[in-house]
Amino acid sequence: MRGWDEGEEDRKENLKRLTEAISQSGSDIWRSWRIYRRSLLAVVGLMLVLSVVTVSIFADDIAVEHPYRNLQDTQWLWTIDNEPQRAHPFSEECDWHEQSIYVDTRSPFFSETVVAVSDNKVGDDNKYYRDTLSVIELLSLKDNKGYDLNISWITIDPNNSSILILSEELYNNSSITDKVWLTYEFDNEAMHLSWMPDGYDVCIFGTTHQGQDLFSKVLYGSRVSLKIGITVALLTVTIGTIVGSVAGYFGGRVDEVIMRICDVFFAIPGLILAMAFVTAMSAITSLTIPLWLGILIPILFLAVVSRTYLTSTIPQENQLSSQVMGSLVRNRNIFLGLLVFFFFVGLIPGVSWSELFGLSESREWRLSAAIGIILLLGLIGLADKRFIEKSSFDGAGERVSKSLDWTNPWKYLTLRTVAVFVAAFYLFEFSGSTDDEIVVIKTFDRLWKIQAALIFTGWPGYARLIRGQVLYVKEMTFVEAAKSVGAPPGRIMFRHILPNAWAPLLVAFTLDIGGTILSASGLSFIGLGAAPGTAEWGLLVSDSRQFFVFDPHLMLFPGLAIAVTTLGFNLLGDGIRDVLDPKNRR
Amino acid sequence: MKLHMFIVRRLILLVPVIVGVTILTFTISHLIPADAAAAQCGDKCGIVVGYTDDGDPITAYEANRERLGMNEPLIIQFGLYVTHLYEGDWGESSTYHRPVADVVKDAAPITLEMAFLALFIAYPLGIILGIISAVRQDRMFDHISRFFAIAFVSLPIFWFAMVLQLVFATGTESSGICDPLFGTSGGCFPIYGRHDPSLTYPVDGFASFYPAGGTGFHLIDSWFVTDEKLATLPEGWSSNWLLFKDTLLHLALPCAALGIASSGSLLRYMRASLLEVLHEDYVRTARAKGLSEFKVVIVHACRNALVPIVTILGFSIGGAIGGAVLTETIFAFNGMGRVAVKSIQYLDFPVIMGVTLITAAIFLLSNLIVDILYAVIDPRVRLE
Repeated sequence: MRGWDEGEEDRKENLKRLTEAISQSGSDIWRSWRIYRRSLLAVVGLMLVLSVVTVSIFADDIAVEHPYRNLQDTQWLWTIDNEPQRAHPFSEECDWHEQSIYVDTRSPFFSETVVAVSDNKVGDDNKYYRDTLSVIELLSLKDNKGYDLNISWITIDPNNSSILILSEELYNNSSITDKVWLTYEFDNEAMHLSWMPDGYDVCIFGTTHQGQDLFSKVLYGSRVSLKIGITVALLTVTIGTIVGSVAGYFGGRVDEVIMRICDVFFAIPGLILAMAFVTAMSAITSLTIPLWLGILIPILFLAVVSRTYLTSTIPQENQLSSQVMGSLVRNRNIFLGLLVFFFFVGLIPGVSWSELFGLSESREWRLSAAIGIILLLGLIGLADKRFIEKSSFDGAGERVSKSLDWTNPWKYLTLRTVAVFVAAFYLFEFSGSTDDEIVVIKTFDRLWKIQAALIFTGWPGYARLIRGQVLYVKEMTFVEAAKSVGAPPGRIMFRHILPNAWAPLLVAFTLDIGGTILSASGLSFIGLGAAPGTAEWGLLVSDSRQFFVFDPHLMLFPGLAIAVTTLGFNLLGDGIRDVLDPKNRR
Repeated sequence: MKLHMFIVRRLILLVPVIVGVTILTFTISHLIPADAAAAQCGDKCGIVVGYTDDGDPITAYEANRERLGMNEPLIIQFGLYVTHLYEGDWGESSTYHRPVADVVKDAAPITLEMAFLALFIAYPLGIILGIISAVRQDRMFDHISRFFAIAFVSLPIFWFAMVLQLVFATGTESSGICDPLFGTSGGCFPIYGRHDPSLTYPVDGFASFYPAGGTGFHLIDSWFVTDEKLATLPEGWSSNWLLFKDTLLHLALPCAALGIASSGSLLRYMRASLLEVLHEDYVRTARAKGLSEFKVVIVHACRNALVPIVTILGFSIGGAIGGAVLTETIFAFNGMGRVAVKSIQYLDFPVIMGVTLITAAIFLLSNLIVDILYAVIDPRVRLE
């Protein structure tokens, strides 16, 4: 074991390299920007993207009202049964002072009074509030079919102008089936003081059919779209890169199988596949993985990492592997394949062993299987360790001790380690884990379902792209050089090949954000995307369909928002392509 | 490699993909939280239909489960599913109350008609603009058309279709001139539907006047409507031409929406491809011979630049079918897209599986044809 002091020179060396790399990348960025700004369209694209991002960040401050005010109200307030409606749908006037409410005369929350409350407002603490309104005058009382009722059946409480008293007649009237409509005028000044921002008297995009401000909804829609776009693009890139580079690097049968799987995904139109997948996930409320799998992933990861580290000085051929644990070491691909299979079966919710093979399923069985697999992994690791101890290669012993040198901080600062720790933290921090499963995503809401569906349909494109790149880079001499000094496949792939294959990936990533926003809004438009009432652009267009002939503004603005955002990302991607592709540097 | 060997090789490569598609659709349909056995018996699930040997009652629900093989392990169920597919039994739709094969057979031509017509718009538009763009590289026209190419790709197709409806289908027709904008009645094009409302339910009930056993493509079938059938139609539909025109007019807007959306990427491919070719030696030779610029570009350069464009054809058919899901929903065409949406909304998974399979089959088939075409045009491909 080496102490902290002995690593001093290493640390200095590493720090020097890091500063050099940073200054180098700084000048790289500057040079790239000079190429980028030559194209007017690319600059416009960048500005569009930046403005959409800015809008989404400051939506709280720009928007007139919070778009979710009616949706996240979980508290039942007396007999207000439905969301309050503003008096003038489709109007450009935001400054309303009338409100219609349902009064549920057969409500389980039976009461003799109704409290006039405002719409929900999000306070500074991000919680939802409602204010009581002081009612000035009752305007009309109608039954469910729109016929006028006697307005004196409801009166304003003389002591408190927020409380409306329902009379006996209203309940005893047999002609009223269940609900009546009440419209009243309230004191708008007090309302304004309490929560409406100053200076917003006109909704510049008009109001929706529910009387909500369209401008605010479009603003908040940028958050949803950007979130979907970036999350999906990041995750598809990750999955596609791993799968594609495995296919490209190993070639042969692995490549063949992976590419055929990709072909299967290409064969079905993406939107139809995504639709089916969203539906297939409709019963899932939270994404969980079994506990054994959750324990297995970090172990597997550490095993792979330490193996990569340990075997990097060891020649491929060894004598011992044919002796003690020979068959285990030689067949480890089969074991790893089994593990991957376990992994996927564990992930597919609802499909259990009993269904798949007709086996009886018990918790003990699963537990023992998990323990067995962990033991197996340990044996494989042990075999290698025994081999290292027995062999007298130069430096192998030092390597082992180095890999166990926990005092050297630079060793831990690899991206992989950070990623694993972040993932582990995420898993345990945000999980409501039970005895035998770990919660990955606590509320697997409709947003997550769209994202999962788009990831599911999107990864083969990246896999194919990366495979092509890897096939191209693989033939270069520096890869051969790395192979000849005995670098293991994982190291060659992630350290040598991928850094040289990232250019088209970045372009595809940028273009994919735009494409994802389009697909997600398409899904929402069909009604399989965001939950009803969400400020999602596709959903807003879909909601406006029945009114679009006479109120085209309802459809135009959200649609334009989608088009502009997608256009921005596409132009940005094109600009990046021009920078990265030397052919286009004219 | 001989051409027929190439075709055989391609066909063999198709097999694992088709198997994969069946596995994928089967998996998805079994994840969907719908009970096919309950869907088939509806209210009558509790009725006792028989007794076991031990004397326990069997309800209709249990009988359905037994009949559909839902009590078997999943692997055996998959085997049953594939066997049934092979025998032509695609299951029974619970929303349409018809065999799935019939539902899909009715819906497929509608989507294909729309997709093909859309490509008829997209290809000429994309190719012609791409050629002009490449010839006038880095001039005003090039910049504008490139911008529009990206803009077309970025347009949400459902929104674009609605804008087209708004502009072209809701205007007023005053004094014979189409007034496209914000009218109250009429318009240049029909707003939705596959036929005029008076034709949708012809005089003699719901029976279609199109020839039974026709292609299903009404652009073609309309020429084969017999005179007796024409006589039964409402007034004003006295000739085949009028029927054809009606179908074409109803297809115009959805196809324009689909076609323009997919012409953007075609333009870019064509431009890039032609730019590459224009720097080749044989183009310089052609110019040196003193040929006119038009002849150089169209005859010498374009013939070679168009070859890679052919390969995109297969993918654009798939893209058009995917886009048809949205346009069919907006224009109320009962094609595969709308059937898919409806079956998904009602969790009718035999139909979902059927539609997915058939779209995959169409896509694979068109790609196969395109590949063979490519191999015929460019024999170098066969050498791989």
